[in-house]
Amino acid sequence: MRPTAGLGLKPQHYADALAAEDEGLWFEVHPENYMAAGGPRLRALEAIRRQHPLSLHGVGLSLAADADPDPTHLAALKALADRFEPFVVSEHLAWSAWRGVHQPDLLPFPRTRAALDRIAGNIGRTQDALGRTILVENPSLYLPLTGHDYDETDFLAQLARRTGCGLLVDVNNVFVSASNLGYAAEAYLDALPAGAIGEIHLAGHGPDEGGSALLIDTHGAPVAEPVWALYRRLIDRIGPRPTLIERDDDIPAFAVLMAERDRAHGLLTGTGACACPQPVQEPAHV
Amino acid sequence: MSELGQFQDAFVAALHARTADPIAGWLPGGDRVGEAEPAGLAVYRNTIAKGCVDALAANFPTVASLVGDDWFRAAAALFAREHPPASAALLAYGEAFPDWLARFPPAGDLPYLPAMAQLDRMWTTALFAPEAEPLAAEAFALAPDILAAARPRLHPSLAFAWFDSGLPGLWLAAREPAPGEMTLSEDPQGALVVRPDHVVHSRRLDAAGFAFLASARDGAALGEAITAAAQADPAADLASLFAALIADGVFVGLDLGDPA
Repeated sequence: MRPTAGLGLKPQHYADALAAEDEGLWFEVHPENYMAAGGPRLRALEAIRRQHPLSLHGVGLSLAADADPDPTHLAALKALADRFEPFVVSEHLAWSAWRGVHQPDLLPFPRTRAALDRIAGNIGRTQDALGRTILVENPSLYLPLTGHDYDETDFLAQLARRTGCGLLVDVNNVFVSASNLGYAAEAYLDALPAGAIGEIHLAGHGPDEGGSALLIDTHGAPVAEPVWALYRRLIDRIGPRPTLIERDDDIPAFAVLMAERDRAHGLLTGTGACACPQPVQEPAHV
Repeated sequence: MSELGQFQDAFVAALHARTADPIAGWLPGGDRVGEAEPAGLAVYRNTIAKGCVDALAANFPTVASLVGDDWFRAAAALFAREHPPASAALLAYGEAFPDWLARFPPAGDLPYLPAMAQLDRMWTTALFAPEAEPLAAEAFALAPDILAAARPRLHPSLAFAWFDSGLPGLWLAAREPAPGEMTLSEDPQGALVVRPDHVVHSRRLDAAGFAFLASARDGAALGEAITAAAQADPAADLASLFAALIADGVFVGLDLGDPA
């Protein structure tokens, strides 16, 4: 069974996930939540993995820090990848760990040539350690930094070309960042190299409770209609890709999330047989 | 240092100072950014705080339920500023939280709180401890002298502690799905936490049970541990005590020594 549309797996939905038999259904977890020696959470994931394809979507490798990935973290990630044999391993174009402190967020940076060298090196170190390519996700952005040598799309394309990594396109992040920093989401999506894209994320956003005009990538609401429209535009151009509905806050019943997932499944299968490629093995020549 | 590293130092400083000043060189308008915190920086700061506080709420559920959401989140945010996570695996975050609560002035009129945090920590640690198969009762069907000389190996998830008052009873009552009236007795008592399979079990431990486990943890043979239990409470029912620990799944192996 090839993965079409999937759901972020939450502990309160383990039993539902185990029982679900929907065509193409897959699940994604943050490996950091499973970096334990043992326990029921790992056992549940093992049981679900026997029934469904799985993706490991990291939030803690800190690829954009000016430091090598933490070897302890990388070893724990490899242990999970070896044990659960995910069809995709992904991370973010962001940093979180710096000087021994982990900030549980995905932080921005100036996209300079030196940053490109450093991050390409970190992706290479990660892929060497895991023995496989990874996908790298575009972050949601909230600060209008200056000093960039590259647009984000160019930066991601360069990383894919240099390291052989693929891209995970979070369409909600594109929408949120474009709104917050004042650029066109459509142009951003159109600029991404189609051959490098291995997965798509869809999630909900909300207003800033702090009162600013910023949109916040909350993962706490259904996917918004403008994000669905951008998603259709993207898959019309590049073809179907495994697509995830992410929900991490204000989590509704499994069936509610499955209704959103079924909408993505319908769009994916309506556009033709799901090719659902693995992350590109050859550099995509951009 | 590279510009990327300089930026990361500056960004962390800006998060702490709540002002754009440290990252002014990377913001439009440069040195005119002023003292105010940009909305975007506040978003990052709030998301980081929420990540830490949510993790602490998950790891210390009894503390959170006893003090209420507002108090807990305010305290947890202060703790996170002083003790940020060292790892992205937040399921182990908060090792220093019980001791921190003991020194946290607003918790001064909640003297039971550090023990609640310590017991929550024991529970959470047991939840993610390595797997191990407990010994069944049949494994102990040995000649008395061989059993007395055997050194037990304890389950890797096992944790136990002794308290000078009824804190374990309070903690156990607070963890009930619908806690009734909770009182703190003055009776010293212990607590045992173990995960023999996929569920964490916790119960009160009496003086004899605690003495037995403390002795076994120090490497004593079963005969020595039973003696320690009898010394702690001469009236203890030692056979029941031992049977209960076997049923708890506390033992995962027996190293058979030479009979004395």
